[in-house]
Amino acid sequence: MVEKDRKLITRREFIRIAGLTATSVAAGSLPSDNPAKAAAPASQQQLSATGKAPRPWWVKSVEKPTIEIDWDQLQRFDSRKTMRSTGFAALIGKDEYEHLLRVAEENEKQRILDHMPGYTLKDQALNAAQSTGARGARSFLGPQNAQIPQERGVPPWSGSPEEASRLLRVAMRHFGAATIGFVELNEQTRKLIYTHDPDGKELVFQDVDQATETATQRIIPQKAKWVIVYTVQMSIETVKRAPTAIAEQTTLLSYSRGRDIQEKTQEFLRGLGYQCLGEATNNALAIAPALAVMAGLGELSRLNRMITPEFGPMVRVFKMITDLPLVSDQPIDAGIFEFCKSCKKCAEACPSSALSLSDEPSWETEGPWSNPGHKAFFENSESCRTYMTEKAGTNCSICFAVCPFSKKNKVWLHSWVKAGVAKLPFLDGFLRSMDDAFSYGAQKDPEQWWWQNLPEYGIDTEQTLRED
Amino acid sequence: MDNDDYRLIRFMRRPWYEWAAWLLWIFLEILFAQAAVASSKEFEPRAATLFWLMFGVLLLGGITSYIIRRDRLL
Repeated sequence: MVEKDRKLITRREFIRIAGLTATSVAAGSLPSDNPAKAAAPASQQQLSATGKAPRPWWVKSVEKPTIEIDWDQLQRFDSRKTMRSTGFAALIGKDEYEHLLRVAEENEKQRILDHMPGYTLKDQALNAAQSTGARGARSFLGPQNAQIPQERGVPPWSGSPEEASRLLRVAMRHFGAATIGFVELNEQTRKLIYTHDPDGKELVFQDVDQATETATQRIIPQKAKWVIVYTVQMSIETVKRAPTAIAEQTTLLSYSRGRDIQEKTQEFLRGLGYQCLGEATNNALAIAPALAVMAGLGELSRLNRMITPEFGPMVRVFKMITDLPLVSDQPIDAGIFEFCKSCKKCAEACPSSALSLSDEPSWETEGPWSNPGHKAFFENSESCRTYMTEKAGTNCSICFAVCPFSKKNKVWLHSWVKAGVAKLPFLDGFLRSMDDAFSYGAQKDPEQWWWQNLPEYGIDTEQTLRED
Repeated sequence: MDNDDYRLIRFMRRPWYEWAAWLLWIFLEILFAQAAVASSKEFEPRAATLFWLMFGVLLLGGITSYIIRRDRLL
């Protein structure tokens, strides 16, 4: 009796039922039309009121940056004193500078003839190609081609500073910026704007309505008191081959992209009815790392550049000034500067011994290229620049390449290590040792780069979306 | 009860900490395997090799420990 009541199914029926069940489950897991029900992480759908994407939980907003600043001692700085600019030639003398350039030229030729990896003709050609866009003319006032609202017969755009911040962030991300922050200029932060640009023109704040440029001055209206700071990613795969022409070309590419973003942002704001004042030459207008730190894009580091939680030091920083009211961002603490105190990997790897090996930062500057008024690991920029010109023949970037924060973040463990750096500083020494053990700072083969399957510009534009 | 018709088999329960240790073992195995695969994608061959090595050592340790514990439990 029991045997008769039991329902028997054949193997074919079983497979059919299993198939139908699997199909139903799969259909149920398809993305919904309602974005709120979609399975993607929240950061990929929603920005904050000011357009900021969520950051990792261990990145903490703070009132003051992690480096100490004496705002009374800090004064506006002349960009011509930096070793990037004409300051290097002025410091070592014209004859010595020209001698170094001749040596560099001879070295470059010999390296090409010797087929030295990273310095071959194809590498140098690539570098020269990138140089075209990077060293081209920029403009303080912008291209000024876009129609202003009056020309369209409409009033200028109006909205809250929150809305303006969101619009600008979204537009600039679309133009290619990796991260964007804003700093309001006040009595203190105005000291981060250079007194003179690298081309010698004086930067002057005046109570005028419109920004202007004369043969000797660039006039910034007092009402233009918001600085836009933005980063452009560099390709980690090329910088890991530093110092070579392969590595340098990525720096040039990021300058080129930075310039492109600047011009487009200037035109975008002009189209909204506002002014946007940019860098007239490379590294002009203001102290980039300082403003980036104030805008919370990252922390100052032992290598005297900003290290971001998202990309480490693998970014170039650019800045503009606008009269569109924006919401100021706060500095951050992600344990980066604290980690630098014990790490010293960049300073140990520096071929010119230009970076400080001190345990603690200092108020004492190293030379006329340093701006006093902040407590940092000041570097010997003269030594750095001499090595780059005479020995490397390109820019150096070894300090960028060996930095333990220079990671791509595909490895889950690395995100947790960064959280550990932020929250468990007693692990810093151990984490530095592990970075050595896994050989993350080792220079990669430049020839291998020509075989790698890399994304556009060699960068991962979705890296920030994976961070939270 | 143990006679010609029945055999009595006694199963010993694993203590809670052993279950916790196995969970940790699985977690670390997934972590190392992910790190090894991702390191290869990041063009970090030495890191990938080390992570695979760690994965392998932990796997062997787990298998050995399972065999030893299984005999004790049975």
